Amino acid sequence: MKNPELALKYAIFVTAQVLIWNFCDFSQYVMLCFLPALIMYLPINHGYIYSMVFAFAIGFAVDFLSSGMLGLTAAALLPVAFMRVAIINMVFGSELFSREENLSLRKQGAPKMLTCIVLSTALFLAVYIWADGAGTRPFLFNLLKFFLSLGLSSLVSYFVIRILESENR
Amino acid sequence: MSQAGKALNILIYAAIFILLEIAALAMLKSSSSLQNIWINRASHRTMAFLWSHGEKIRYRFQLQEINERLAQENFLLNQELRAYRASDTALLKKGIEPYKEADGFRYIPASIVKMSRNTAHNYIILNKGSDDGVTPHSGIITSKGVVGIIDAVGRHYSYGLTFMNNNVSISARVKKNGVMGPLAWDGKRRNGAVLRDLPLHFEVNQGDTVITSGISTIFPPDIPLGTIGESKTVNGALHFTAVNMFQDFSSIKNVTIAINTGREEIESLEKKEEQ
Repeated sequence: MKNPELALKYAIFVTAQVLIWNFCDFSQYVMLCFLPALIMYLPINHGYIYSMVFAFAIGFAVDFLSSGMLGLTAAALLPVAFMRVAIINMVFGSELFSREENLSLRKQGAPKMLTCIVLSTALFLAVYIWADGAGTRPFLFNLLKFFLSLGLSSLVSYFVIRILESENR
Repeated sequence: MSQAGKALNILIYAAIFILLEIAALAMLKSSSSLQNIWINRASHRTMAFLWSHGEKIRYRFQLQEINERLAQENFLLNQELRAYRASDTALLKKGIEPYKEADGFRYIPASIVKMSRNTAHNYIILNKGSDDGVTPHSGIITSKGVVGIIDAVGRHYSYGLTFMNNNVSISARVKKNGVMGPLAWDGKRRNGAVLRDLPLHFEVNQGDTVITSGISTIFPPDIPLGTIGESKTVNGALHFTAVNMFQDFSSIKNVTIAINTGREEIESLEKKEEQ
């Protein structure tokens, strides 16, 4: 990441995620996570390998620093990084890559950005909740947790991206 | 970038993704016992799926060869049956009741569910279990020789050690002169074995047939196992002989389980003697 301001904001948000998971216990049914949004918002010229290694590293860091299980967040974030290009192509079209134009709330609009956030967060939550339950929790519990967490996380992720974009790039 | 280049790139990215995901799951596995069990179960299911489908595909390609072998076997068996019938009829005509020898074994046909071939301790899983009458320490055989020994039995499946296992040794005999010794896998070739401890005063020649001795309760006697290969002398007193097995372990699908019907009686006698 060449932009030091953006790198600093990423570091702050990763720290915030660690603090939230350590100190904010919403309930068994809700989890707040905006890490998928951070993966999606990486500069567009960073390809598959960069985003996957980045996802693995921040997943590992968050797991290591919070009281969660080591490897769980990394395992759930990696599919998001792997599918990042496909999701961006699907939501914003392939022109973004040909023009090397970064994601932007102002240029692409809130609905598209929200769709992108919801898709990436849904992918993350599906893997996370499934692996966290390890087949021991009822399907309906997992489903309820998935939708409640998706709603809250997507909303917070939207504001995270607004902050990332402010006076940036 | 060309289509081939793009496809190659996608493959490389997918490989990196899989590697990182495996690393993450390995960390998860070691950090929680619940997740450890879950990942193990998922991995076993995946492996069972891949194994069974791989075996099915392999089996499909071998069908023609298996059919030809079965036809040949069928022909030989019919020939043998005709010879026995002719001999029985001749005896009956002379007023003599034909002698029928029971070998004391019951036979159950079974299919291989899974079989390892690439380690020093290979095993086999068969689709017959205790519900079908299989008991531990039964022999696993085919028309080409010995495959292994049943080690543990579940209700529907049984687990055995194959002959390609360093812990398996069977009692064998050289057909020509009757000399006996333990036969074990040589640990190198899929059809290689070693017949040990043959006394020097017995002459063994290359090409002599080796058969099961029949002195153990596991295998019926006189099952052809292989032919004698090269031989060397150990400590100046014993033959150490290579055997080329008839059984090809790379192409087995169906086997027969040989269950000794008198084992319980034999074992109880042994126990009494020990007491």
